Amino acid sequence: MKLIDADKLTDLAAALARAGYRVVAPIDDSGVVRLKEWAEGAAIRTDAVPVNSAKDFLFPPSEIIGRWDLDGDDFTPRDVQPDAPKTVLLAVRPCDAAALTLLDTVFNWDYKDEFYNARRQAATVVPMVCTAADEQCFCTSVGGAPDATAGADAMLRPADGGTTLILEPLTDKGNVLLDAAGPALAEGDAVADPPVEIPRRFDVEAVTEWLSRNFESDLWPAISLACLGCGACAYACPTCHCFDIQDEATRRESVRLKNWDSCGFGLFTLHAGGHNPRPDQAARWRNRVMHKFSYIPERFKLLGCTGCGRCARVCGAGMSMSEVCRLIADETKKAPTHES
Amino acid sequence: MDVDRLRQDAAALLADGRARMVIGFRDRAGDRVPAFITDAEQAGELVYDEACRQNLAAYLKKAELARFRPVAIVARPAVMRSLVLLAAEAQVADADVLVLGVSDDDEYHGILDLAATAALLNEKYAEMPHDPDLVKRIEEISAMTPEERSTFWTEQFARCTRCYACRAACPMCYCTQCIVEKNVPQWISTAAAGHGNYAWNIIRAFHLAGRCTECGACEAACPQGIPLMLLNVVLARDVEEEFGIKVGYDAEAEPVIGSWSPDDGEDFIR
Amino acid sequence: MTQAEAKSTESAGAFEPRIVAFVCNWCTYAGADLTGTSRLQYAANVRIIKLPCTGRIDPLFILKAFEGGADAVLVSGCHPGDCHYTSGNYHARRRWMLLRNLLDFTGIDSRRLFFSWVSAAEGQKFADLINDITGKVREAGPFDPTNPARRQPWT
Repeated sequence: MKLIDADKLTDLAAALARAGYRVVAPIDDSGVVRLKEWAEGAAIRTDAVPVNSAKDFLFPPSEIIGRWDLDGDDFTPRDVQPDAPKTVLLAVRPCDAAALTLLDTVFNWDYKDEFYNARRQAATVVPMVCTAADEQCFCTSVGGAPDATAGADAMLRPADGGTTLILEPLTDKGNVLLDAAGPALAEGDAVADPPVEIPRRFDVEAVTEWLSRNFESDLWPAISLACLGCGACAYACPTCHCFDIQDEATRRESVRLKNWDSCGFGLFTLHAGGHNPRPDQAARWRNRVMHKFSYIPERFKLLGCTGCGRCARVCGAGMSMSEVCRLIADETKKAPTHES
Repeated sequence: MDVDRLRQDAAALLADGRARMVIGFRDRAGDRVPAFITDAEQAGELVYDEACRQNLAAYLKKAELARFRPVAIVARPAVMRSLVLLAAEAQVADADVLVLGVSDDDEYHGILDLAATAALLNEKYAEMPHDPDLVKRIEEISAMTPEERSTFWTEQFARCTRCYACRAACPMCYCTQCIVEKNVPQWISTAAAGHGNYAWNIIRAFHLAGRCTECGACEAACPQGIPLMLLNVVLARDVEEEFGIKVGYDAEAEPVIGSWSPDDGEDFIR
Repeated sequence: MTQAEAKSTESAGAFEPRIVAFVCNWCTYAGADLTGTSRLQYAANVRIIKLPCTGRIDPLFILKAFEGGADAVLVSGCHPGDCHYTSGNYHARRRWMLLRNLLDFTGIDSRRLFFSWVSAAEGQKFADLINDITGKVREAGPFDPTNPARRQPWT
């Protein structure tokens, strides 16, 4: 098997960079762990879930999808190519990789998003198995695991008490990556450490089932009180994929932007005529939960959440998807008081 | 600080109907998250300490909480000033809100209506200093050359993803359609980059000039750790030094940017 | 001034600042008009935008000017006490004080942002002001294209 010392991950990054990959890894950014483009000298940290997700590099916060040169009333379209350099998503979390299954699905469902697909095809995904977790992690409650290989081209497995990493190829892209890493990897044997045990926090099937019958529940206003309607959770989430198209122009050129959007924003569903079908945070939270645990499962047989916990870590108002799911699951354990 | 008295007062308010909801903080696995209590029995879960950084006055923005008025809000002095300012801006009526006065200096101030809140501020917290660490950092940045300042802020604003958590966390950002959501014309570019990020952060700070009580909730809410308080304290110090105005101490005060004095300085005007 | 005269003030390849001036209709705009009718020469670098009153000026106008490539911005209106709308310039004055400190702190300093009171009778003052500002900005150089306020080329 191919091995590398656990504290030599930057050597692997350097080797891959020399081989022409843009290396994205969890970097220490003034004390915060953030997935960023790695550059020589940057410290890679794998001891915490990064504040952002791998989604940033496949579906960026803002992207140009159309351009025109303007000349009075005349306009000339310009060719816009997706910016998709060969990339390795190194030491991301298994929950990030698992999210790619959903992103691949929605960006190729009714319309093939060439921008996402170009970046996706250019990306090699190398998650690292989690041997630690925090209170907010709940991958095991949503069909995931700290050593899940969904979406992975190769896996980094901590081994020999955390001193070594095994790099195990899983796909053709993974094999290509291992070749590119060359002498940064040593040949040898090691015993993979057990992944961290994450207790199941709620029964997700019970949640999905409850959602199918409780659109009008009083639970929605109750659980959404703390939410102030920003986009922090949706932006941090590896599976959230809503976007807003904006055209911006000067007298000389115009661009069409695809920007991240959040169903938590008050204006997300505001109609041009003034009506808003989701007029309060309760309705918006209902949508958020149902999208992830009811509509997506119904349509794609996947869950819309991989249990990474970023939403709860980043929320400035104390909202937490796993807490909401626990509350819903608790509802299902109560005796029914009326016919639903 | 005597949290038991806070809990007792909260329970009493709910029991006798002086408040229909108490908004405070509870503990969740070591984190401090908001608590929305409608039953006296739940008052025992209230906590308060320095880790409680949210400005709970922001919840007055939520229309769905209107039916719970009168609401009692756990408020430290910076938050009390937000409430007084909201009253000055006619966003909250005296009958709608009560304060459970807390502080970071271990004093519990009990149940206060808005008038008593303003009185307390003027009596005990009349000199609320600007955070000295922020002032020091502002001075360091002001001593840089304009090019260095420009580079510094380019780096800071480059991280902004336009999640608007800063806006959501702020009790004074209550516009139903924010300037950044006006698209006829699109004043502020929506792209999470460059000039759009600069304009958004500068204009938001400017819209809060004379309205910011330096509670720090915006910076605490920012997922990217952008030092928003630097901008806010620059403006807050100016409002105090140039116009002699203390923000959030008078429920009858006129808005700072919406008013003027014949004595306002103009030494920079040719 | 004529095109020929304007060209003669430029040397080949030298930096010519682009200055945007937001002025009020009743005082500064009329003053600038007087400059012209008096045949007083002033630098052609300024682009004048007329508004009813300086009280109308939103800080966003100033930001947009820098965004779009202005090397400097001038804001000018009626002297205190002379505002056609009584107090528009007083509102403006207070805002400018706060805005200029905020912009200075974030990289747009007083070499780039100017404020003045110019009345309808001050044709000479307007000419002198523009010439002085143009000289200062020419010396300060172009507004840094990497300044965060500047619109970057869409990549």
